[in-house]
Amino acid sequence: MLNIRRIYNGRWRHNKQKGILFIFLLFLVFVRFSKGSFYKDFYYYISKPFWPGQFQRDVIRTSLDQELLIKSKQLENDNNRLRELLSLQRLSDSDTISAAVISRKNGSWWRQIILNKGSKDGVEVGSPVIGPGGLLGRVKNTSFLTSTVILLNSPESKVGVWIDRVQTHGLMVGTGNDYPKLMFYTKDVDVKVGDFVSSSPASTLLPPNIPVGIIQSVDAKSNSNTTVNVLLLGKPQAIDWVQILKVEI
Amino acid sequence: MDQFLKKNLSIISFIFIPILFLWHPNWLGIMGTQPYWPLFWLLPWSMIYGSINGLMVGLFLGIILDSLSIGGGFTHIPGLILCGIWFGRFRISDNNFVEHFRYGLLCAIGSFLCGSFYYFQFLIQDFQNNQFLLFIPSIKNVLAQVFLTGLFAPFLCSQLLGVFKRSK
Repeated sequence: MLNIRRIYNGRWRHNKQKGILFIFLLFLVFVRFSKGSFYKDFYYYISKPFWPGQFQRDVIRTSLDQELLIKSKQLENDNNRLRELLSLQRLSDSDTISAAVISRKNGSWWRQIILNKGSKDGVEVGSPVIGPGGLLGRVKNTSFLTSTVILLNSPESKVGVWIDRVQTHGLMVGTGNDYPKLMFYTKDVDVKVGDFVSSSPASTLLPPNIPVGIIQSVDAKSNSNTTVNVLLLGKPQAIDWVQILKVEI
Repeated sequence: MDQFLKKNLSIISFIFIPILFLWHPNWLGIMGTQPYWPLFWLLPWSMIYGSINGLMVGLFLGIILDSLSIGGGFTHIPGLILCGIWFGRFRISDNNFVEHFRYGLLCAIGSFLCGSFYYFQFLIQDFQNNQFLLFIPSIKNVLAQVFLTGLFAPFLCSQLLGVFKRSK
C-alpha cells in the first residue's frame, strides 16, 4: 500500500516538473521574441524609488548652464572679433549702466520710464535700454540726475529690427498700446506667428541681436506692405531695474 | 506759518500735479491708462477765478506737462487752454448733487477734448506714414481716460474747490 502511494507520488512530481519546465521554456520564448521588454518594464517599476532625485537633476542642470554660458561667451568673443573686422558696433560688459526705474508711464499716449541715472553718470541721448527679456527703448533725454526713456510701444518710437528666420529687416512702430506694429515694405515676406524679433545686426543705432519680441499675429497683407503685431519680451510695467548700454552713435 | 499754508494751499497743490503725472499709479488705471490729472485742478480753479485765469493756468500746466512728456512736437497746451476758458464760464451751483454730477461730466468732456487734440496732433505730424496704425489704440486710450476722469472728478474736484474757496 505504501509502495503504491510512493510510485504514484513520483509520477505526479515528474509530470509537475515537466509542466514547470514547459512553462519556463514558453517564458523564455516570450522574452526572446519581445526583446526583453518584460524585463525592462519590470525593472522600470522596481528601480523607480532609486531614480536620480531633485538634487542630482540640479547638479546636472547647473553643469549644463555652465556649459551654455561658456559656449555663449565663446560665441560672443567670436562675434565681437568678426564685428571688429567688419567695423560694426561692439558691446562689452563694461559698457552698461544699471539704473532703477523711478517713474513709469506705460499706458495712454506717453509711454516712458524715468531712470535714476543721468548725464552725471554718463548716460547719453540715444542709448539703448534693456531689461529682463530684452530691449525696452532708447534714452530720449537726460537731466543731470535722471534720464527719460521712450518705450518701444510709444507712438513716437520707430526702431529697425530683424527677423532672423527669414533674414528680413522691418520697421517697428509703437502704436500707443502694448503691441507695437512691425512693418515690412513688401507683401512677400514669409513671417509667421512665433517668429523671433531682434535688433538688426546691421543697425548703427542699436547693438546687434538684442531680443525684442515675438510675432503675435499677422495682419492682412496690403498691396505694398505686410504688418504684424509684436509681443514685446521686455515688460516695462513690471521691471524695476534696467541696463543702459553705452554705444557710440 | 499756518496762515501762509492756508492762503497758498491752492498754489502748493498746483506743484503736486506734475508729481502725480510722473507717479502714474498703475492701480488707479484701466488698461494702463490714467485719469487726466490736471483737469481735476483746473476745473475748480477756473470755476472760482474765471476764464482768463483758467486760460493762464491751462497754459502753465501745459508747459509743465509738455516738459515732462516725451512727445517731440506734441503738446498738451491747446486742450488745457480750451478747457481752462470753458470751465471758467461755469458758476458754482448750490445744489450739491447737481454740482458733483457736473464735475464728473465737465471733466469727462474736457478729457475727451484734450485726448482728441493729442490724437489730431499725431494724425497731422505722422500723416505720411503709419497714422492708420494708431486709430484703434487711440480710441481705446481716449475712452479709458474719459471714463476714469469722469469717475474721479466728483470726489477730487469738490475737495479742491473747498480748499480753493478757503484760500481765496
